[in-house]
Amino acid sequence: MASNAAVPFWRAAGMTYITYSNICANLVRNCLKEPYKTDALSREKVHFSISKWTDGKPEKPSFCSVFIRSLHLPDMVANL
Amino acid sequence: MAMAALRREGRRLAPLISPRTITAVRSSPLYPTLEDEGPLGVRHISTQVVRNRMKSVKNIQKITKAMKMVAASKLRAIQTKTENSRGLWQPFTALLGDLPSADVKKNVVVTISSDKGLCGGINSTSVKISKGLHKLNSGPEKETKYVILGEKAKAQLVRDSKKDIELIITELQKNPLNYTQVSVLADEILKNVEYDALRIVFNKFQSVVSFVPTVSTVLSTEIVEREAESGGKLGDLDSYEVEGGETKGEILQNLAEFQFSCTMFNAVLENACSEQGARMSAMDSSSRNAGDMLDRLTLTYNRTRQASITTELIEIISGASALEG
Repeated sequence: MASNAAVPFWRAAGMTYITYSNICANLVRNCLKEPYKTDALSREKVHFSISKWTDGKPEKPSFCSVFIRSLHLPDMVANL
Repeated sequence: MAMAALRREGRRLAPLISPRTITAVRSSPLYPTLEDEGPLGVRHISTQVVRNRMKSVKNIQKITKAMKMVAASKLRAIQTKTENSRGLWQPFTALLGDLPSADVKKNVVVTISSDKGLCGGINSTSVKISKGLHKLNSGPEKETKYVILGEKAKAQLVRDSKKDIELIITELQKNPLNYTQVSVLADEILKNVEYDALRIVFNKFQSVVSFVPTVSTVLSTEIVEREAESGGKLGDLDSYEVEGGETKGEILQNLAEFQFSCTMFNAVLENACSEQGARMSAMDSSSRNAGDMLDRLTLTYNRTRQASITTELIEIISGASALEG
């Protein structure tokens, strides 16, 4: 199992298990054939707005709307 | 007789035709004397206001009926998703248990609510439960913070618990909910908040009319290990064999993260499902109320109209009989 040896590496890259498993899921989804691929990829749309509060005051809200694809996947795969 | 009928028609149409009456009705609170003048020869009560009211109530009823339909169809889609997602947290609870009574220093209450209103009391219930948890878990050397999902809980909690808010997340339901989205969100929460125990508050969907406010607890790795040492359900963890070169701590950390994202996914879905159910029943009762109101208004309207017709008839008849006699 490759994943066993990989754990320290993605931890060191500042990833949590969730990010790691999402990237793996994205890789698997990309292996699908059309038309199932577009269908599956549409299930990983991410959109929400997040704002951090400190001492009762909001900081500027940021919109989180990423596709996992944009997470520099090639670099991460190279790291594995 | 025909002339009389025509005149009656004319009188009833008069308030509609003459612009003067309309202004008189509109400005009646300011100039009550204008109402008394009225158009020439009109002596009955104006039914314009009642008619307008009936029209608006009818429109509101249409809107609430449409909203009920929309909620019903959304509910059907999300209900299957929710019921399927229950399989995600059940193994975790079987393995790690749910320890709502764990006494830890850094508590984080994750309040889940909806972005939109008109869905009954589900948001205020989850806010109430969150405040209760906050009170229960605060004390010397302990701190409790809020992470808020959804506009509605934000609006309620900003009022009196401003200082304890750590993160606010909104606009969750722009796209249909999916696991990737919730897991990215859970990841953001894990990265931005220091915690020993995360307490997720949401409305568990039971049926279209009943939602149970629920708390699920996700403990951090250190706390899980501490609890495991002290025995109890978590003490069984030692009997599991760990494969590969990882230590138990690493496994537990991965597991805790994954547990949090799975529990969040289920919680967000359950809450969305409850929201649609609550909106459906709220809209159902409001269209019923609008119907009742419409019935009452129609009754008043018809009675007033009938009364004015009767008065006119009496006048005509008595006038005619006076001429004859």
